[in-house]
Amino acid sequence: MSSRRSSRGAISDEEVNELMSKLQSLLPNSRRRGSSQASTTKLLKETCSYIKSLHREVDDLSDRLSDLMSTMDHNSAEAEIIRGILRS
Amino acid sequence: MAHCGGGPGPAAPREASSVESHFQGLLDDDDKYRALCGAFGYLQQQEWPDLSGACYAAFGAPPPPGTSNGAGNSFSCSGSASSGGGSTKRKPDAYVDAKDDCKRPRGKQQLCDPDEAGAAAKGRPEKAKACARKKPEPAAAGQKTDYIHVRARRGQATDSHSLAERVRRERISERMRYLQELVPGCDKVTGKAGMLDEIINYVQSLQKQVEFLSMKIAASNPVVNFNIVDDLFGGRRMNQACGPSMTTLPMHQGQLDPSCLQMSSATMQQMQQPAAGFGQDMLVNNPYPAAQSAPPSAAATPVSMSAAASVESCLDVNGAAAWDIASQHLFSGFDAQFQPVQSDCLLDNLKMEM
Repeated sequence: MSSRRSSRGAISDEEVNELMSKLQSLLPNSRRRGSSQASTTKLLKETCSYIKSLHREVDDLSDRLSDLMSTMDHNSAEAEIIRGILRS
Repeated sequence: MAHCGGGPGPAAPREASSVESHFQGLLDDDDKYRALCGAFGYLQQQEWPDLSGACYAAFGAPPPPGTSNGAGNSFSCSGSASSGGGSTKRKPDAYVDAKDDCKRPRGKQQLCDPDEAGAAAKGRPEKAKACARKKPEPAAAGQKTDYIHVRARRGQATDSHSLAERVRRERISERMRYLQELVPGCDKVTGKAGMLDEIINYVQSLQKQVEFLSMKIAASNPVVNFNIVDDLFGGRRMNQACGPSMTTLPMHQGQLDPSCLQMSSATMQQMQQPAAGFGQDMLVNNPYPAAQSAPPSAAATPVSMSAAASVESCLDVNGAAAWDIASQHLFSGFDAQFQPVQSDCLLDNLKMEM
C-alpha cells in the first residue's frame, strides 16, 4: 500500500496538502481554529456542510432580492435607480 | 490456481492438521483456539462442518459463502511453492472491526500462511509479515459490507495503526465522493488534487455569489440592510485577513450605493425617510456621544432625530455637504482605518451623482 502511494509521487502529496490548507483557509471555521492543521476527514466534512450552507444562503438571498424587486416596482423613481445599480 | 481449502486435495488435511497442532501448542485456551479456527475459516473444512457454524455465530458474523458448499471460497491457492505440501494458501478474506477483538486472532492467523504450513513448528509472528503479499484478494464479498468496517486483504498490515489508517482513508474517500456529488463538474476530473482544486474554485465562486447577492440587496434596501452591510464588512475584513487577493472596492461601492440612491431621490419625503433609518443605525453603531454629531439646539433629542434634522437642514444649501457629514458620523461606528477611504469614495460618488 505504501509503495503504491509513494509511486504516485511526492509532488502529488505535497500538492494535495497545499490544496487542503487552501481549502481550510476558505472555510469560516478555519479562522477560529487558527493555523492548526485539522484532520482531512474533518476538513472535508466541514467543506461539505459549508458548501451546503452557501447553497442555502444563495437561495435565500436570491429569494429576498426577487421579493425586493417585486415590491419596489411600484415607486418608480427608486426602482429605476435600483435597476440601474443591479444592471451595472 | 487450485483450490485446496475444502477440496479433496491431499494438501488440505495435512495443512489443517499441522496448523492445528501448531496452534494447539500456541494457545492452550480451547475457546480461543476455536475462535481462531473460526476466524481462519478452517472449520469450513469437512472435518468440522458443524463447529464452523457455531464459531461464526460466536463471532457475530455470518459464515463466508464458501461454508455451505464446502468449496472453500476464501482458500484459493495461488500457485505452488517449493514442495507439494507447501502450496501457498491464501488467507481467508477476513473482516475485522478496528475496535473488535477479532484483531487478535487475525494477527495470529498469519501464522498459518503458506510456509508455516510446511514448517509450522517454528512459525514466528514476524515471519508472517515478511511473507505477506501485496496482491489484493479478488474474492469480493460486497454483500457483507453491512457489518464490516475494515477489510484486511492479504498482505495488508493488521496492527491497530494500520487499521485505523485504513478506516481514516476510507472515510476520506467517502467524503470525497460526497463532495464530488455536491460540486458540479467535479466528476470529470480525476485525482485528488484536481478534485480539491475544483472544490476550492466552487467554494470561492459560491462565496462571491453570496457576497454579490447581499451587496445587491443592501444596495436596493438601504434602510433595512445597513446591518447586513456591516456584517458583510466584517466578513470582508476577515476575508482580507486570509486572502489578500480580494479587493475591497466592490464592498465600498455596496456601501455607497444606498447614499447615492438617496441623493438621487427627488422628493423631500424620500430624503427624510432613509435619513431617519441611518440615524437609527447611528444610534446603535455610533460610539460617539450625541452632542458631537448634533447641533447644540438638538442635543437633548436622540441621535437619530438630530441626524435627520441636520441632513434636512443642510440639504437646502448643499446636499453633498450634508451627506458627507452624515456619512462621517455613520462610518465613525466602523473601524477607524476604513473611515478615510469611505468618506473619500462617498464624496467622489456624491459629486458624480450631483
